[in-house]
Amino acid sequence: MTASEARARAIILPGLGISLVALLALAGVYVLALGYTPVEARQGLAQKIFYLHVPAAWSAMISFSLVGITSALYLWLHDPRLDRFAAASAEVGVAFSAVMLTTGPIWAKPIWGTWWTWDARLTLTLFLFFLFIGYLALRASVHDPAERARFSAVVGILGMLLVPFIHLSVYLFRTLHPQPVVLKPSAPSMPPEMLRTLLVSTVVFTLLYIGLVTLRYGLAVAEDARDEAPDAA
Amino acid sequence: MPPETPQNAGYMIAAYVVAPVILVGYLVSLWGRVKRTLDRK
Repeated sequence: MTASEARARAIILPGLGISLVALLALAGVYVLALGYTPVEARQGLAQKIFYLHVPAAWSAMISFSLVGITSALYLWLHDPRLDRFAAASAEVGVAFSAVMLTTGPIWAKPIWGTWWTWDARLTLTLFLFFLFIGYLALRASVHDPAERARFSAVVGILGMLLVPFIHLSVYLFRTLHPQPVVLKPSAPSMPPEMLRTLLVSTVVFTLLYIGLVTLRYGLAVAEDARDEAPDAA
Repeated sequence: MPPETPQNAGYMIAAYVVAPVILVGYLVSLWGRVKRTLDRK
């Protein structure tokens, strides 16, 4: 085993472990959401989708924000580790966005009467998802590592700029989407059982982000080690 | 639950199934890529 491969394995195994622990903890979130939190009177059981949708959105926005930050740092420092992290965070962010963009319409259908509406929050979020699909396609199509890192860093920074705009879009535009109930200037506006469950779920989704991004980063290290091996094609 | 509370458990169940399917599916696919990369050495 080469030193690079050993380094990759030292990153991959903790990443896998953290991801599995987080998925087990997600089962605990289900228990809390179904057994501990009250049923919301106007929305019924569909309101409990909130405990998955909001933390998934949180993790997606954290992912894409970190893509932008590490991309900007890459353009400054030219450290390939920053580019690897940005690529890992973008891919994991797309997975969390997929959860956000499927659970959202499943909630919207019984509450709004429609799966989707082209308002600012939803449209911008879908645009961000496609932007990072494009980011991953760009990375797959450019073979020179330095060029790939530079081009994708620019896209990553542009994507990050959308994140605060998406958060504020519910204040800036008329929208069906509910306004923030936790991340707002005043105190959270929900019963304590709901708030506790939401916070636990957010911690679990953040842990899952850490696990998945560590595993994906380890994969990038392993791929680089394979490409640098003397017998590589 | 008050009598006027909507009965929409099916939507909740759908979301509670879809979310782990996406996340576990991604983890399994990622692990497959890791295994292939490490085995190709």
